[in-house]
Amino acid sequence: MMSATMEQVGSRDAYQINGKTFTSRLLVGTGKYATNELMAQCLEASGTQIVTLALRRVNLEAKGEKTLMDFIDPKKYTLLPNTAGCYSAEEAIRVAHLSRATGISDFVKLEVLFDEKTLLPDPIATLEATKTLVKEGFTVMTYTSDDPVMAQKLEQAGAHAVMPAGSPIGSGQGVLNPNNIRIILEKVKCPVLIDAGVGSASDVAKAMELGVVAVLLNTAIAHAKDPLKMAHAMRHATEAGRLSYLAGRIPKKLYAQASTPEKDF
Amino acid sequence: MKLIINGESRELPDDLSVEGLIAHLGVRKETVVAEVNRKIVQVGQRESWKLSDGDQVELIQFVGGG
Repeated sequence: MMSATMEQVGSRDAYQINGKTFTSRLLVGTGKYATNELMAQCLEASGTQIVTLALRRVNLEAKGEKTLMDFIDPKKYTLLPNTAGCYSAEEAIRVAHLSRATGISDFVKLEVLFDEKTLLPDPIATLEATKTLVKEGFTVMTYTSDDPVMAQKLEQAGAHAVMPAGSPIGSGQGVLNPNNIRIILEKVKCPVLIDAGVGSASDVAKAMELGVVAVLLNTAIAHAKDPLKMAHAMRHATEAGRLSYLAGRIPKKLYAQASTPEKDF
Repeated sequence: MKLIINGESRELPDDLSVEGLIAHLGVRKETVVAEVNRKIVQVGQRESWKLSDGDQVELIQFVGGG
């Protein structure tokens, strides 16, 4: 039988977040690029359909200068504003309200941090903010540590996606505890995404092979020596990892198994 | 009147609406969200929302982030 092309698999292999359908399994952040032009090229190359962004004060001295939104078409991408930099549920909820007031998106990447050095989430405040924002009708995708209990609590609180960090934000260490991700995938029914920590294409492929719905990354592309090449690499890695997961890997064995028939010479 | 805009004190003409302030500052109105005294001003309220001396205004927009 001929195997399906990626395009054929891709169209069948869609997933949904709160009823909205996506086929690209790579979510890309818009921070840390050398220029907005490069950022836009990288988004395009990555094939992403969901992009994260942040809210900050307008620079009143930069009259008339182009802003991020001059480089991102909200008709093309689903915008996922984050609450990065918030250290309490109240702050995160305020930022979510502000982002919804733009009228551009009711998605929110909920992130309530505990300390600046680790950028680890505050689980109690995260849970509280998830409950509130879900009640208020947001589509809530929650950043969390890779704790399987917390992932279940967030799902119970109504999170539309649970997004454990593979390793600390921006650290490029990959998925440090794949076993926790496996347990989360067993226990949680809502979409699970790896958010943060991947550094290279192989990190992304390995994350996808665990069976997560998608991977969200930013620094790995933005700070690569050649971001545009890395955006392409990440797209391929996401697709390769997904296909590899669906195809089902062979079990690991201790001893060799010949690939060539050993008889009938 | 004096307004605190994004944490900075500024002298501005009286009788300014939020819409008027955004225009006065030359900020692109399509991509900005305004908050006055910690209350969000929805896009439809900008014109009718009159600012008063001492109001604390936050003007927020999307920037790059992960």
